Parts: sequence; C-alpha cells; structure tokens
Amino acid sequence: MNQSAPALHIRCQMQQPIVVDISLQVRGFTVLLGVSGAGKSSLLKAIAGLLPAQVSPYGDSAVEQRPIGYLPQGYALFPHLRAWENVAFPLPRSAHRHTDALALLQRVGLEDLANRFPSELSGGQKQRVALARALARKPQLLLLDEPTSALDMATRDEVLDELVREVCEFGIPVLAVSHDPHLAMLADHMAILRDGRIVQEGDPGEVFARPRDVAAARLLGFRNFLSGQIAGSEHNSRLQVAGSGWQMQAGWQPGLSLGTSVQLAVRAEDIYLQETGATHCCPNPLSVQVKACRKEGLSMRLYLEGPTLLEMLLPRQQAEDAQIAVGDFLKVCVQPRHVQIIR
Amino acid sequence: MQSADHGPGFPAYRMTASFDRFRWMGSALAGLVFVFLLAPYAALIFATDWHDFHLSEGDVDAIRTSLLYSTLALVISVLAGTPLAWWLAREHGRGKWVFDALLMLPLLTPPLAIGILLSSFYGPYSPVGSLFSHVGVYLTNTPPAFVLAQIYAGMPYFIIAARAAFEGVPRELEQISRTLGRNRFQTFWRVTLPLARIGLSAGVALSWVRVMGEFGIVLIVAYFPEGIPVKLWVNLEDIGLSAVYPLLWVFFLVAVPLPLWIGLRARRQTQAMF
Repeated sequence: MNQSAPALHIRCQMQQPIVVDISLQVRGFTVLLGVSGAGKSSLLKAIAGLLPAQVSPYGDSAVEQRPIGYLPQGYALFPHLRAWENVAFPLPRSAHRHTDALALLQRVGLEDLANRFPSELSGGQKQRVALARALARKPQLLLLDEPTSALDMATRDEVLDELVREVCEFGIPVLAVSHDPHLAMLADHMAILRDGRIVQEGDPGEVFARPRDVAAARLLGFRNFLSGQIAGSEHNSRLQVAGSGWQMQAGWQPGLSLGTSVQLAVRAEDIYLQETGATHCCPNPLSVQVKACRKEGLSMRLYLEGPTLLEMLLPRQQAEDAQIAVGDFLKVCVQPRHVQIIR
Repeated sequence: MQSADHGPGFPAYRMTASFDRFRWMGSALAGLVFVFLLAPYAALIFATDWHDFHLSEGDVDAIRTSLLYSTLALVISVLAGTPLAWWLAREHGRGKWVFDALLMLPLLTPPLAIGILLSSFYGPYSPVGSLFSHVGVYLTNTPPAFVLAQIYAGMPYFIIAARAAFEGVPRELEQISRTLGRNRFQTFWRVTLPLARIGLSAGVALSWVRVMGEFGIVLIVAYFPEGIPVKLWVNLEDIGLSAVYPLLWVFFLVAVPLPLWIGLRARRQTQAMF
C-alpha cells in the first residue's frame, strides 16, 4: 500500500433512493466494490451533493461549492463543446483560460485532440477529457463511477493503468465505485459495500486473500465454496477441513477450534491438473469428473463433479495438452495457501 | 426468374428486388403527398397578375404592423414561455399532469373561440379589462390588444416545443455542470439552453408562423390595427382576389425566411453534434 497516498475520511448517511450508511477511509486510489444495485452510484451522487444525504466532509456546502470532482458512468461530456471547452468549463473567464485547458489536456496526453467534439473521441479519450475537466477545479476528492464500464476489452487494461497513474499524479484521494474486482486489484485501498454498509475494508492484498463472507468472496471472484468443519491442525501452520466425502488443508487461522463450521473458498484459476506421471505431490487432491466445459477466450472453464461441484479455469497451454472432454476423470490439486477459510 | 432451387444467391436477390420495389413505391407515394401539399401554391403563381403586380392601399402599414407586433409578441412569448416550459420539463411532482392537460386547452380551442374568450376576459366591461383601462391600457382594437391576441396564438406552441426540447437535455449533464462549480442559472445558460437550442429554435419558428398568420383571435380582439391576415381578408372583401395575391406574396416573403433559416441551421448543428 502506498503509505504516502493522500487520505480522507468520508461518512455518508442516505435514506433515498437507497439506504446507505457508510464510514470509509479514502486513501490514494480507493475502490469501493459492490454488486449492481448496491447503491454505489447513489452514494457517489450523495457525496457530490446531487442527492440528499448527511455527508462529511463538505456536506454543508452547495453542490457547486464542494471541492469534489465527479466522473459519472459514460463521462457526461458536454456534446456541444469541444474537448478543450469541456475542460475549460469549470475555469473562470480569463485571458489564459484556453491555455490552462490545453495544459490540463496535455497532462492527460490529449492536447492534439483539443478541438474535437466528444462524438469524435473514443471511450478512453472521453474518459481522459472528463478527468481533465474534473481536475480543472483542483478538487480535494475525485469520485469515479464505474470507470471501466464504458471501456472496450481491447484497451481496458491499458486505459485503466493510465487512469490510475494519472489520478495518482494529481495527488488527490480518489474514490472509484465498481463491480469489477480487476479494478480493485489496482487500488491502494479497497472496501466492499453490501446492503448499504461497508462489510470489509483494507489493503487489496488482504481483502482478496481473506474475504469476510461468501458474498464478499463472490464479489472478489471466488467461484468455489465448500461447507465443512475444522478437523485438525498441523503445527499452527495449516488447518485440516473436512466435508462430506472430502478433506482439504488450508492456511492457518487463529481462533478456529475443532468442529467449527466453516466455508472454504477457492478461485477457479487456483485449481490445477495433476500432471500425468508427475512424481511431486498433489496438495489437496480431488478426483473429479468433467461434466461440462466452455471456452473462455484462450482459457477453458471446466465444470467438475467430485465430492462437491467445482469450477476450474484451465490455461490455454494445459487445455491444449490435456485434450479434456466431457466425461473424463481427472485428478486436480489446490495449494493450501489458496484455500481461504470463511467463518 | 430465378427460383429458390437455383442457388445460394437467390434469397439475397429476392430481398433486393422486393426492397427496390418497396423503395420505388415509397418514393412515388412521397412524391404524390408532396405535390398534394404544394399544388395550391402553384395556383398562386399562375393566378397572380405579374403584369400588374402592386400592393393595395394600406398593405404597407399592415406589413409594418404585422412585423413589428409579431416580433414583440414572439419575444414576450419566448421570455415568458421559457421558464414555464423548463418547469414543466423538470418538475415531476404529484398533480403536474393537470398543468400538462390545461396547457393543451389553448391548442385545442378554435382561434375564434379564444378571441371571444379574450374579449370577455380583457374587454372593457370585464373586471380585468377595466383594471387595465385604469392605467391607460385598452385591450380591444389597440396595439396592446393585437400583441395580446398574437401571444395567445403563438405562446402555447412555443411552450410545447420548448418543453420537449428541455426534456431532451440529459439531466446528468446539468448535474455535472453543478459539480463543476456552476450554479443553477449558469448551468441553464451554458448547458441546458445550448443543448435545447434545436428544439427551442423549432418552437420559435412555429410560434413565429402562428403569430404572423393568426387571423381568428386577432379578428375578434384587435381588428385594428390591421395586420397582414386581417388585411388579406379586407382586400378580398373590398377589392377582390387580385388584391390578395401581392400581399400574400409579401407575407410569404417576410414570414417564411425565419423558420426556414432556423430549420436549416438546426439541421446542420444536429449533424455536427452527433
């Protein structure tokens, strides 16, 4: 985590159109993850002053006086203004207004497109113009609503990297709301919103490694959940968890006594095939049968039936080598450190 | 003719042929409607006595009256109608449908009936009329009465068009403007108005045509001063058809360019924006 990142503590209580009551640390590039309909966009609007809510800080100021930059989904560029005019929109009328707008466009690498209308810009370019426009007022907080939603897959990662780099360069705390765990992976700090409350908050590394509950784990991309009980421990380094017809080792967690009911969460991409004829051991071995398979870009998603239903994502090379078909019997493995215990 | 058995190209051929036939019929129908609408204007060209083309006595005054007071009525309609149109577009409170329905009344009422209603309401024997006459404003057969009649003719059309134009402006853009430090008035001036300008222009053009050409209301409320529509009627009654055509040509000359210009400009701007 970037310890020197600018930080701001936000509190927001809203009743309409959705009940939200959150207290959140915005540190550097912070991502608030939530499913669609969780109230993420409403929360940002409330912080910006566009919806009635009790907000701290800036809650006492009118919308136009809050030092907050807000980028909605789709960016909302003014279609009747050129790129530089959009950026100059919040700037006061002065002799150097045009120059200032161009300087901001230059910072996001778009000075060459200053005279284009929004309809002549790509999704990523629009986003950068909107970013420059939001930053023109020198806000103390930047709000991004689903910044990945209007980007195409081909340029998404590139544009995201640039966006994160650019907002970091401006040195203000950024709160982005999204349902996209990939965005949260890039964050300095992250939180999970559910039922109008923050259910988990922290460093992305910690949150991704230790989701607090099944819903959070689903949001973070976990696809396999197994219900079992603590069956034993090994030298305070591993825990043995057993369910009906299976037994798995997971990373150590304190405070879990024998017989405690737990859920195990495993990512589809963390399950791998035991290589044929391999001599090294296969941790957490499971014998499964392929019930269905689906190509997913260059990878292959397998739906497996064994002691429990499982999903695994096989990389392209392995999928090609193994030539897996529906009905095949496989032996799959999972590293204990990739098995997360959820209480 | 090819049949379905004659190769893979057949379905495309059949679709193109039927599409061409449909397009041909569509064009012919459109042409017929076009001719139907414009045929009477061709009659105007042939009926006008071009060798003896002259305006009648009082025509120039009627043109001046129409232009001056129509412009005034239009400006008042736009200035007064814009806030109402904006309110109708942006407010969604309970009971707003009543206002929407009431706004349709002036459009549904025959002009002659509106004229009679105006006479009853603003006439010298009504309470409102006598109130105005106390401050020296008489609302029957006077320039203010003429402008009043024209406002009633044109403003409802402007409001309907302006409301639709404002409704077409995404509210999100207005909200973004607020988050960028602009207050409500600045947002209206810099975002709402420019984005609604095409619809507003259409409203202005429509209102102008209604104001310039209004006959029924003006006939009852302000027969004097004579504007072009009333003068056309007077010329027809007193002199005959030959005195109508020259003034009608002038009417087209002064009334049509504004909506035509606005329409073309709006079309170009729409294409540029999207």
